[in-house]
Amino acid sequence: MVYKRKKYHYGDTHLKKKWRTKRRTKDLDQIDEDIKPENAEKLVNQEVDYDKPGSAQFYCVHCARYFIDDHALHEHFRTKVHKRRLKALELEPYTIEESERAAGFGNWKAPEKRKIETIDPEAVSESKKMKIA
Amino acid sequence: MRIETCYFCSSRIYPGHGIQFVRNDCKIFKFCRSKCHAAFKKKKNPRKVKWTKAYRKTVGKELAIDPSFEFEKRRHTPLKYDRQTWTKAIEAMKKVEHIKQKRQGTYIMQRLRKGRELEQERDVKEVQRDLSLIKSPAAGLKERKQKEAEEMHDSEEEMEGVVENCGEVTL
Repeated sequence: MVYKRKKYHYGDTHLKKKWRTKRRTKDLDQIDEDIKPENAEKLVNQEVDYDKPGSAQFYCVHCARYFIDDHALHEHFRTKVHKRRLKALELEPYTIEESERAAGFGNWKAPEKRKIETIDPEAVSESKKMKIA
Repeated sequence: MRIETCYFCSSRIYPGHGIQFVRNDCKIFKFCRSKCHAAFKKKKNPRKVKWTKAYRKTVGKELAIDPSFEFEKRRHTPLKYDRQTWTKAIEAMKKVEHIKQKRQGTYIMQRLRKGRELEQERDVKEVQRDLSLIKSPAAGLKERKQKEAEEMHDSEEEMEGVVENCGEVTL
């Protein structure tokens, strides 16, 4: 009798995939740039793109994720993943400039703490309407 | 040729060493060795990893704010070659480096001095608490009791004398 070959998954660990730079998700310092009101507005009101989940209409700026509909997005705002991300963004993220400052190019600056709230697409669009009206 | 700084541990990267990662927004991350590169891939925060410069400066282990740090900088202005300025710059670099190292050294020594004070305080407290291990509390107890008894006797006699005196004073 012929058996099926074993050990198909040799060296196939989840960590290897996660640590690759191939499918890298946005870093915190990139998201820090996105949070700024002028950038956030653009990200929340994206054009319809059929290749993205939910045609790119339901985007969480802090987690850099697309959701399929409004319900899924609002459910996501209530999750731990999202709240953890908000907490991580409270302190200013580490940047290349900071690494140079740590090396002795210029004085060291302690990272500042700020308050971060979820950017709700409805609120953003409403404020925009108010401005127009 | 340029000596770069590592993104993760802020150490120097000499030509021919380390690896670079170019993110899809054109930012270049330079790493001095695979240790730093691997930590970056794991999304570790250099401020929280104890062996990095960023950690040591955020926690206050090293001198972080000092005018001597303002000398070394990337100035994007080309200078026309001049032998005199070149030699002067080299001299100044040596001097600045000497001053910087001295200040960093004194900062660390001052930080450690605090620990020594605390240690002494702790030692004194410990001796006072555990004095019974060195000297038994019962040592010389008998003699002390005898002395006390004698004193009591004496004071009683005095008290009696006082009472007598008082008695004489009455009208």
